[in-house]
Amino acid sequence: MRKSCLRCVVAFHTTAGAMAAEQLCHREDLEGRLISVPRKITSDCGIAWSAPPELRETLEARFQEAGIETAGFYELLV
Amino acid sequence: MKDSWLRRNGLILISGVVVGVAALVLTWAGNPKNMGFCIACFERDIAGALGFHSAAKVQYLRPEIVGIVLGSTIAALGFREFKGRAGSSPACRFVVGLWVMIGALVFLGCPLRMVIRLGGGDLTAVAGLLGFLAGILVGIVFLKRGFSLGRAYPVKLGEGMMIPGVMALLLALLLAAPGLLKFSEEGPGSMHAFWGISLVAGLVVGALAQRSRLCMAGGLRDGFLLRDFTLLTGFLAIWVTMTIGNLILGSYNLSAQSQPIAHSQYLWSFLGMALAGWGSILLGGCPLRQLILAGEGNGDSAIAVFGMIVGAAIAHNFGLAGNADSVVDGTYQVGGIGNAGKIAVVLGFAVLLAVSLSHLPGKEDA
Repeated sequence: MRKSCLRCVVAFHTTAGAMAAEQLCHREDLEGRLISVPRKITSDCGIAWSAPPELRETLEARFQEAGIETAGFYELLV
Repeated sequence: MKDSWLRRNGLILISGVVVGVAALVLTWAGNPKNMGFCIACFERDIAGALGFHSAAKVQYLRPEIVGIVLGSTIAALGFREFKGRAGSSPACRFVVGLWVMIGALVFLGCPLRMVIRLGGGDLTAVAGLLGFLAGILVGIVFLKRGFSLGRAYPVKLGEGMMIPGVMALLLALLLAAPGLLKFSEEGPGSMHAFWGISLVAGLVVGALAQRSRLCMAGGLRDGFLLRDFTLLTGFLAIWVTMTIGNLILGSYNLSAQSQPIAHSQYLWSFLGMALAGWGSILLGGCPLRQLILAGEGNGDSAIAVFGMIVGAAIAHNFGLAGNADSVVDGTYQVGGIGNAGKIAVVLGFAVLLAVSLSHLPGKEDA
């Protein structure tokens, strides 16, 4: 059994977007990790960024400033 | 909240088992041995049926491919996931799809057939598996460096319905005007299940693969890159189901010799599947996944599928595809590929390298 917890999941239009997000978050010491995009978000099999929900506003701002195009922010149990 | 492994992986597990059972049923019903389901071989047969190549032994309009696409379309429409979208480097996707097909036909099978061959005890497929893993790792290196073919954009419904429409038309041709098509009288193309069985198997697999996102390349990519083994569960479920099914049916033959439609040129099997694996990562999915995405409205995947069909025609028109090992006058003859096929594989790596390098982030993206 794995424990699910509420996360802020950020979807991207491209894998490159997810990779850029990972680099930015590591550089700025923002907690999170890459995950396979949850099935409940899309039928695509891309890569998403999973972070604590309290980081949502920070991530929205930082990704926008860095020109990283996102496909949506979701709060999900993952 | 606790989430059990079975709950998270149940659908992909069921999809893998169903694909395995469908492959066993189709083989029992007439499809070639260890080839119950092969996307590359079946698209190659369709190219032959349409007269795109003249290899007389591999021509038949395989209803499985039609079924997979339409099964995906029906599932996507039913769950409101059908979305017309396109515009992600279509020309590159066509060319990469073409080389994925050539790599697969050098090996004699797509990643799905590779697993099916392994499940039949075909040890020659191990070289293909290792090559596929190597190709995926190369693709991952470029993904980590920011490789991207660009994003897709919403398009009109008509664009998204293009490949389901083409598949429906092909099925209509098979049923209503078979005289317009070419049919093999011997060889793998002449071996096929009754069209209704093939179509239903394709529909079921297509629908399940759409729901579960089953993908041979995606499973390994997620395993290596994210340590997420969900998609890989489907890959392994097909392998286990095929192994158990073949053991029960008495058709399991653990050997590297005399395997159905397989050759023992290990180096070129390795390189062919490395080409297919790398290309699949660049495309965002294996040949099966491209059909599923095309079925749910992705015009870019439709272009990749068309590239694969053209690649199959090129492979046979220019003698690039592998030949199976055979026994002639009591002597075992190793098949494989000739010099043209070897040059094509090397050229394929050069093309994929050019596509990979030219789609890394550049100064214009900074």
